[in-house]
Amino acid sequence: MSLRKGLPVKTLFYLTVAIVLAALPILIRSNYWIGTVNLAIIYSIAVLGLNIILGLTGQLNIAQAAFWGIGAYTAALLNTRLGWPFWATFLVAPPTAAAFGVILGFPTLRLSGRYLAMATIGFGIIINLILNNWKEFTGGVDGIPGIASPVLGPLRFSTNASFYYLALVCLILAALTQVRIKNSRMGRAFRAIKDNELAAELSGVDTFKYRVVAFALCSAYGGLAGQLFAHRTKYVSAETFFIDMSILFICMLMIGGAGSVAGSIVGASLLTFIPEWLRFLQGPWAMAIFGLAIVVIMIFMPTGLAGLVKSLGSKMAVRLGPDAHREPTELPRKASH
Amino acid sequence: MRAETQANTILEIQGLTKLFGGLLALDSVDLSLQIGEIRALIGPNGSGKTTLLNLVSGVYTPTRGSVFFKGRSVTNKRPHLLVQEGMKRTFQTARLFRDLTVLENVMIGLHGQTRGGLAGIVLSLPGIKKEEGMICDKAAEALQFVGLHGQAKALARNLPYGQQRLLEIARALISNPSLLLLDEPAAGMNPSETSDLVSLLDRIRQRGTTIFLVEHDMNLVMEISDVVTVLNFGRKIAEGSPAEIQNNEEVIQAYLGKKARYA
Amino acid sequence: MFDVTTLAQFFVTGLAMGSVYALVALSFALLYKAVGILNFAVGESVMVPAFIVVILLTVLKLPFLPAYLMIIGVMVVFGAVFQRTVYHPLRGRPFISVLVSTIGASLFLRNTSLLVFGADPRVSPALFPVQSVGFFGVFVPPQYLLIITTLIVLVVFQYWLFEKTLLGKKMQATAQDRDMARLLGIPVDRIILITFIYAAILGGIAGILLSPIFYVTSDMGFMFALKAFASSIAGGLGSIPGAIVGGLFIGVVELFCAAYISATYKDVFAFIILIAVLLLRPQGFFGEKVSEKV
Repeated sequence: MSLRKGLPVKTLFYLTVAIVLAALPILIRSNYWIGTVNLAIIYSIAVLGLNIILGLTGQLNIAQAAFWGIGAYTAALLNTRLGWPFWATFLVAPPTAAAFGVILGFPTLRLSGRYLAMATIGFGIIINLILNNWKEFTGGVDGIPGIASPVLGPLRFSTNASFYYLALVCLILAALTQVRIKNSRMGRAFRAIKDNELAAELSGVDTFKYRVVAFALCSAYGGLAGQLFAHRTKYVSAETFFIDMSILFICMLMIGGAGSVAGSIVGASLLTFIPEWLRFLQGPWAMAIFGLAIVVIMIFMPTGLAGLVKSLGSKMAVRLGPDAHREPTELPRKASH
Repeated sequence: MRAETQANTILEIQGLTKLFGGLLALDSVDLSLQIGEIRALIGPNGSGKTTLLNLVSGVYTPTRGSVFFKGRSVTNKRPHLLVQEGMKRTFQTARLFRDLTVLENVMIGLHGQTRGGLAGIVLSLPGIKKEEGMICDKAAEALQFVGLHGQAKALARNLPYGQQRLLEIARALISNPSLLLLDEPAAGMNPSETSDLVSLLDRIRQRGTTIFLVEHDMNLVMEISDVVTVLNFGRKIAEGSPAEIQNNEEVIQAYLGKKARYA
Repeated sequence: MFDVTTLAQFFVTGLAMGSVYALVALSFALLYKAVGILNFAVGESVMVPAFIVVILLTVLKLPFLPAYLMIIGVMVVFGAVFQRTVYHPLRGRPFISVLVSTIGASLFLRNTSLLVFGADPRVSPALFPVQSVGFFGVFVPPQYLLIITTLIVLVVFQYWLFEKTLLGKKMQATAQDRDMARLLGIPVDRIILITFIYAAILGGIAGILLSPIFYVTSDMGFMFALKAFASSIAGGLGSIPGAIVGGLFIGVVELFCAAYISATYKDVFAFIILIAVLLLRPQGFFGEKVSEKV
């Protein structure tokens, strides 16, 4: 019943959002701000990945930046050393990152909670240190410059505005994929594992398999984000991928609302824009305020923005679309015994 | 495996032993369950009943001994594989997925019997949609069977205790298991609820499911079981019909001074 | 290269660094044991006092002892403020909320110190007039010996505190079972506050000890925090002696690996140890077994 009533409002909302998104580069003239939007989109994809492992499956992964880094470096190396074009790195970077995700996810199956968090931290640091120090392969501290802008056939995405559309499409696909996963049998399995791993196993869920799959999906998303980042900034270096960034992703997820697809995107966007808005202050001022803000938000908004919206939203309010659980509208009637 | 029992035996336990560090929780227990039986496992607190259940369902691995389900050895298999083969269990404290809806809780119970994979899900293939619909229908059916169909959209955490236990049973039943292990299903229930439980168990048995329950409520045990097995200090001390057990000297001795409710 | 003198020299150096790691790990492990949190800002509790020491000694030209005592006082305030703002409002929440909050605190402290102290690395004047002290042919900076000695003294002090004083017993009780402690009339909130302060003081001591031999920068705390994690895990996450042994172990192994394998990758070894421990023996040297499922 609420579904019926909400339908026209929902469509209107979606339509407005679609129009705004499509026209964004026109609405925002500043090249700098479009660039920031692009960054927000790329971060959103990384955070969406984190949402799968942490938000849905409840496993503490503090190494998402490492997978971002792996994706970025894979793209950078393939592009600058072997001349591979964008679509090729697009196809290779996420699976490469996913492979590393399995390398991390598989041996850590026995661990949980704090121990798993520790292991992921260690993993992330090792990856970071290797990328930073292996001069011959990764360029060491200097990184890898000269990555080409994306080219797809006749289309060149060398401006911020054009890249925006490319990134937006990727984000939409990434989000849609996750919504489908979340509402599927697989999504249920993830959520069951988060809620009560033993009960999940005893309901028939192969918890080991799904934990590894969750890691692989998370790192694939991270790798995709990294690949996009590499082609956007045309330069990668390991400094950017330090553990700070993994933690930043977690903050983005917590603030947006862990478990929520829309929340992941909102959280990532907010935490991209706020520091940028604060950038008119001297660098460290912005970061210091940012740090303080994180503490404050953690104290006063534990379920993140998505949780806030959910609790504020009554049956009349517009629900953030991708969030809705798929429910049967009516139970089929069967003859009783 | 003894040939003459093979055809009708759904569960066979041989010499099952479990050591936790220095503690001998289960000591060389043998047990044989026939298809369609309702078997009760009783014994004073600490006699190893839940340990046995955990060993059978794959939660623990035995120190010694073996478990055969439907004639095949399942001794060190992981629990989800046992579920796929047709064994389901419930817990002493209902282990529900508290942040999922009642319907979703039941739907997960069918996970081991369904196949929808990543590719199909992401591409939203028709086969997947069909499977989801089927899961939904079966879940509704299971809820109706236990009497919870009005609560389908409620969050599991919001259900009163008695209904939570029923939900757990529905989650177990959705896959139509051959063997259902119940860990103290009547715990915390009042006489009226217990009486409902008795008829529920009877209806489950009529569907062809073999039931193996651990229980403290003697009324329930005497009323519903075909055979009763008694454990004490990890060892089997008696086995027989409810009437035989009630009059067994050793059983009475074991329970003297312990909390137990007799008829 | 493998002669006894060189080896001994390396060993002592490793012990010295390891002692610092042990101190930081101790601070970290205490908070984990007492309140169950992973404190990402533990490195800042070393960095902040280190900076203040430098300022007190070089700018204000205070003598050593008063400066050091002032630092201890500062750390008392630091620990109290930290507990009140970062931990206390979140004490019932899921583990990850507190984690993220300590990260926010770390970010805040790192950047504030950058603003206040600037970006130039500082170092405080040497405590000892001599460059190195020799015994049995091994020459090491006296500061190293001070560090190792301080750790020993501290371990003894802490043993006395926890085992022989009422306060220490109350701290242990609170760490083991908070509700029970409350029922026994122990002022749990105050004990937790004291634990935070004590942990902060440990960081302060580490900062003081490091300041003459280490370049103090606003992001130095980070590596220490990570090595503290690694030490705690290697030693066993819930274990106090484990933190100490873990810290020393990592300090020594790290140094030897840097000397004989690769100096560039010096920092990696601690994390290789971390991962190895987590995969092979997650409970570390002294921790309780990571329990079976049910």
